[in-house]
Amino acid sequence: MADEKDILAAAVERDYSEGFVTEIEQEFVPKGLNEEIIRLISAKKQEPAWLLDFRLDAFRKWQQMTPPKWGHLSRLPEIDFQDIIYYAAPKSDSDRPKEIDPALQETFDKLGIPTGEREVLAGVKSKVAVDAVFDSVSVSTTFRRTLAEKGIIFCSFSEAVREHPDLVRRYLASVVPVGDNFYAALNSAVFSDGSFCYIPKGVKCPMDLSSYFRINASGTGQFERTLIIADEGSSLSYMEGCTAPMRDENQLHAAVVEIIVEKDADVRYSTVQNWYPGDAQGRGGILNLVTKRGLCRGENSHLSWTQVETGSAITWKYPSSILLGDNSSSEFYSVALTNHYQQADTGTKMIHIGKNTRSRILSKGISAGFSENSYRGLVRMNPGADGARNFSQCDSLLIGDNCGAHTFPVIQNLNPRASVEHEATTSRISEDQLFYCNQRGLATEDAIGLIVNGYAREVLSRLPMEFAVEAQKLLSVNLEGSIG
Amino acid sequence: MDRVYRIGIDEVPKRLNLNDCEQLRLIFIVMPGVSADIPFEINIEKEGVELEILGLYLSPHSERVKFNITVRHMVGGSHSRQLFKGIVGGSARAEFDGLVYVAKGAQKTEAFQENHSLLLDNGATVETHPQLEIYADDVKCSHGATSGYLNPDELFYMRSRGIPEAEARKLQMISFVSPVISHLNETMQNQIISRL
Repeated sequence: MADEKDILAAAVERDYSEGFVTEIEQEFVPKGLNEEIIRLISAKKQEPAWLLDFRLDAFRKWQQMTPPKWGHLSRLPEIDFQDIIYYAAPKSDSDRPKEIDPALQETFDKLGIPTGEREVLAGVKSKVAVDAVFDSVSVSTTFRRTLAEKGIIFCSFSEAVREHPDLVRRYLASVVPVGDNFYAALNSAVFSDGSFCYIPKGVKCPMDLSSYFRINASGTGQFERTLIIADEGSSLSYMEGCTAPMRDENQLHAAVVEIIVEKDADVRYSTVQNWYPGDAQGRGGILNLVTKRGLCRGENSHLSWTQVETGSAITWKYPSSILLGDNSSSEFYSVALTNHYQQADTGTKMIHIGKNTRSRILSKGISAGFSENSYRGLVRMNPGADGARNFSQCDSLLIGDNCGAHTFPVIQNLNPRASVEHEATTSRISEDQLFYCNQRGLATEDAIGLIVNGYAREVLSRLPMEFAVEAQKLLSVNLEGSIG
Repeated sequence: MDRVYRIGIDEVPKRLNLNDCEQLRLIFIVMPGVSADIPFEINIEKEGVELEILGLYLSPHSERVKFNITVRHMVGGSHSRQLFKGIVGGSARAEFDGLVYVAKGAQKTEAFQENHSLLLDNGATVETHPQLEIYADDVKCSHGATSGYLNPDELFYMRSRGIPEAEARKLQMISFVSPVISHLNETMQNQIISRL
């Protein structure tokens, strides 16, 4: 095992390759949170009065609330909400520059995010429309014209407020109410930017849409808000990615994502979360505390969540589906990997309200180092959910004897014509498996990568192409140095 | 050694520590008409323990039954197995809250936990929290939970062969509870079957 340890020790030294900082002129609002700050953010974004009222209402609700403590997250620090800058934006002359700042362009190029349409058209990258969000503002959205021809609205949230206020007003907070939870209320009060997407009736979105979030400035938090509406019979595949610089401090990321799926519509939402996880001693890293929820409102609507969680010091995230329409269905596929001192408490909620609603949960947790990885989920069959079905499978893989893997599902059945099945297993990579690979000439590191990728295959195969490749790489890389 | 606890009749310990190498089977029976809150904690502090906990709850009316079972593996090399089955009807509410805890260093632990429940009527509620909290890697731990109803295909099969519906349903329920009641003596078995 000695030489194995050497290889591993070398691999641990690997840096978080997205950990650079972009030097760019930025403007900030003062530190802290009070009504003045909220008015200031709202004024900077030239928001209508109703939105300011919405924010202030959320702020007052938030003041009455306390942070939830039920997560299995012993390393979640007390957050001083007065010590955070709630708005940071790259300086620019006009509200929305025609040309993207070269330094920003470079940042997104380095991250491999196409903010220009040229190279995509030249066939260098596959065709994906991207909304890139840098700290508190959206800096560029590509392919808007192509999408607009089909009637699809894909733009930054601030722009949607200006240009499509009726849609925003109708759907905002309709799935995640302002006072839903502590962090959702905070987000509702101070949210800066995010993506807005509306797919009209019967339209199949011709390309994948994607949001890319980047935290750059120090001492700030990112509070983005995403609203996706898929009207009757439409379909959409949506992707979300995120990175941040390496810092010794913890930075807060509290997002809200709301998805409304109407009759016969189909939405696939995929996330590859790679926020800075902190260093090997557990210093720094992003606190990822997000609320994501979809409402399958119409009959036969379908929503699928796929997430690969490899980053963040703390992850507190439960993408949920409310199955309201009859025959609607939802899936949740998740791979959560924690290494070093990372802690993840993640899972889903499936609330069955309509008849013959179906849901499937497949969660694969991998813990290594000194990390803790928990699955927490709720499946609820309401009295009206006749013929509803759920199947959940939650597997945990432990690598090393200093980590923890936990499963906390809740099953509530109130309907004698509904059925719920849940199973969970915990195991580790066995010496036999490793020996088998070693014997065939695979180094231990590669063997672990192979086994873990095989273990997560069922989830990874649900991801859109380019995400799947990235996710596989992330899994192998993030596990480097995890056993010895 | 087998110990049978009839809830509401026998006194149930709140906590047991197993520090002797032993085989132990505990059986909890909740008969119709009994509402109870049953907190029970067991710590395995010795290698080589074989522990089996079985539970059955029949709640056809308006009972409130709540199991809160914690099994802690403080040392490795022991096996535990839990099987809880319940039939819930009327406006009854049954809750099963089970935690398997494997302490750091408790290697070679094997722990299994199962909870199955049948819902018979509108208004009945089943809530299950099967939890695993694991801090050791060389372990085999799993849990399974289901909540459902009597299989209509099975019912149809029996009825098409001349078995009256009520009796067919009873047969289905007997087969559902038999993994638990097969460990009881005949008198108790008959007592339970007559109440299905």
